[in-house]
Amino acid sequence: MAREMEEKTTPAVEIENLVKDFRTSFRRLPLRAVNGVSIRIMPGEVYGLIGPNGSGKSTTMKALLGLLAPTAGRCAIFGRDSLKVDSRMDVGFLPENPYFYKHLSGAETLAFYGKLCGLRGKALRERIGELLELVDLEGARHRRVGGYSKGMLQRIGLAQALVQEPRLLILDEPTAGVDPVGSRQIRDLVMRLRERGITVFLCSHLLEQVQEVCDHVGIIYEGRMIREGRLEDLIAIEDQTEIILKDADETLVAAVRELVAGHPGKASIIREGRPKTTLERLFLRETIGREDH
Amino acid sequence: MNEPQAARATHIGRTLVIASNTFTQLVRMKVFYFLAVFGVIAIASNFFDMPQHTGPEAIGANVLRSIKSWSLGAMTLFSVVLAVVATALLLPKDVEDRTLYTILAKPVPRLDYLAGKLLGVLALIFVSLLAMDILMTAVLHIRTQIVLDQQMTLAAAMGYTEEARESLRAETLAQGPNWSLQAAVLAVFLRAAVIAAVAMLVSTFSTSTLFTAVISFLIYFIGHFQADLRSAWLAGGADGEGWIARGVSLLVSLILPDFQLFNVVDAVIEGQLVSIAVMAKLIGVGLFYVIFYTLCSWLIFAEKEF
Repeated sequence: MAREMEEKTTPAVEIENLVKDFRTSFRRLPLRAVNGVSIRIMPGEVYGLIGPNGSGKSTTMKALLGLLAPTAGRCAIFGRDSLKVDSRMDVGFLPENPYFYKHLSGAETLAFYGKLCGLRGKALRERIGELLELVDLEGARHRRVGGYSKGMLQRIGLAQALVQEPRLLILDEPTAGVDPVGSRQIRDLVMRLRERGITVFLCSHLLEQVQEVCDHVGIIYEGRMIREGRLEDLIAIEDQTEIILKDADETLVAAVRELVAGHPGKASIIREGRPKTTLERLFLRETIGREDH
Repeated sequence: MNEPQAARATHIGRTLVIASNTFTQLVRMKVFYFLAVFGVIAIASNFFDMPQHTGPEAIGANVLRSIKSWSLGAMTLFSVVLAVVATALLLPKDVEDRTLYTILAKPVPRLDYLAGKLLGVLALIFVSLLAMDILMTAVLHIRTQIVLDQQMTLAAAMGYTEEARESLRAETLAQGPNWSLQAAVLAVFLRAAVIAAVAMLVSTFSTSTLFTAVISFLIYFIGHFQADLRSAWLAGGADGEGWIARGVSLLVSLILPDFQLFNVVDAVIEGQLVSIAVMAKLIGVGLFYVIFYTLCSWLIFAEKEF
C-alpha cells in the first residue's frame, strides 16, 4: 500500500534546472543547448515538448536517458538519477529516425532487446507475440527489418521501447517522416498506452498531434522553457464558448441568433458557418476509408 | 502492465546477448565466404613443390612447409583484416543508425556493450580459424602420409639404414600436423584478438571508420618493431640516440603491443616445436593486452556523449 502511494507521488520524470553546454572549437565560447530547463511529469501523464529545430528538445531527452551528462542540474526517472544504469529499467526510448539491425527480423529484434532487459524463455516469447500484435506487425514477424517501411520501423521501434514493460516511454519525434496513415497508427498506439496508465514524454513538430494526445505541454525555445502547463489551460480562450449543431435548419439557427441578440449582457456571435474537416481526416477517409470525429 | 516482468540481467548475460548479436550480424554479412577462398589456397599450396636437390630428404619437405606457410599466412591475413575492419565498422555504424541509443537506453552498462561487441568479433574469428585449422590439418595430414611413403620407398631403394630411416621419418613428421601447429593457430588468434581490442580503442575516439582502420593497421605494423624500440629505450641511449628518438621509443614501448612475441608462427612453419612455457607466456600477454585495451576503451566510452 505504502509502495503504491510512493509510486503515485514520485514523479516519473524530474528535470531540475538542466543546463547543457557543447564545446564547439577551441577559443570559441561553448554552445548552450539547454538553459535551466525544469520539467516534472507525474505518473500517467502524457507530456509533449514542442519547439523549433535546435531548441534543445532532443538534448533534454538524451540528458534524461543518461546519453549526455548535464553541465549543471539533475535528471531523474522515478526518483533514480538518470546517470545510473538502474534508472533505465523503467524507461523505453524511441529515438528520432531509428534504424535497427538490418540482419534481424522483427521478432528477433524484439528478442534482442528483451534479452538485454533480462527476459528469457516463455515470458520473452509471449511478450514478443503481444507486442507484435499491439503494433500490428504480426504479418512482418519473420521479415528482415532492413526491408521495413518507415512507418513499420517506427512501430517496431515503439515495440522495442515497450519490451520490458516500462512505466515511462520517451518518444523523440515519433511520427517524423511517416505518412499520414502510419502517423495516425502511432498516435492511436500512444492513446492506448495512455489508457493503460503508461507515462509518455514525447517531442514533436506536429502540433496538431501533440494537441490530440498530450494532456501537458511545454514549449521550449532557444534552450529555455517559455510556457508550460496543462494543455486545456494553455489553449482555452477564456471568454469564448463553442456550440456545434448537427442537422440544424435555418429556422433554428435564426432562433439562436435572436436569442443571443436579445440576451442581456455583452454576449455576441463572433463567427458562424460550416466547420471544416482537416486535410488529414479527408486523406484518411479517402485512402483507408477511416472516419474520425 | 504496471509490474515489469523483466528480471535483472547479469553483466555476463548482457555481454553474451550483444556478442551473439554481433556474431550473427557478421555471419549474415557473409564473411564466411572467405572460407571458400581459404579452401582453394590450402589445396593450391599442395602444388608449390620445388625440390632443390634429389634425395629422400628433399621429397615433399618443401610442400609440407608450403602448405603451412600459405595456410597460416591466409589465416593471419583473414583474422587481422576482419579484426580491424569489423571492429572499426560496428561501433560507428551503431552510432550513425542511432541503434546505440536504443541499446544504451536499456539497462546496459557501457562496458557490457563494448565487451559484447569485441567478444562477437572474436567469436567469429575463432570459428573461422577453427574451420581453417581443420581444413589445413586434414590437407597436411594426407600430404604428410604421401610424402612419408615416397621417402621411405626411396630411402629403402638407396640403402638407408633402419636408424637413418627412423630419423628421416621423425624429421618429416615434425613438418606435419602436430600440437605446435595448433599452438601457431592459437597465436594467430591471440594476435587478431589484440589488434581487435586496439581497433576498438581507436574507434571510441575516432570520427570515421577509415581513420580507425588506417590507424589500427599502422599500430599493427609498428607493433612488430615495438621490441626493438623497447630495447633502444632500455639501452639508455648507449648508441647515441637523441632525446626525441628515446622519447618516441619509450612512448611506443608503453602504448603499443609487442607483436614480435607472436612470431612463433614462423618458427612452426620451419618445423620447430613450441614449448608449453612459450605458449603460456603468449596466452598471458595476449589476455593482458586485450583486457588492458578494453578497459582503456571503456574509460573513453564511459565519458562519451551521444
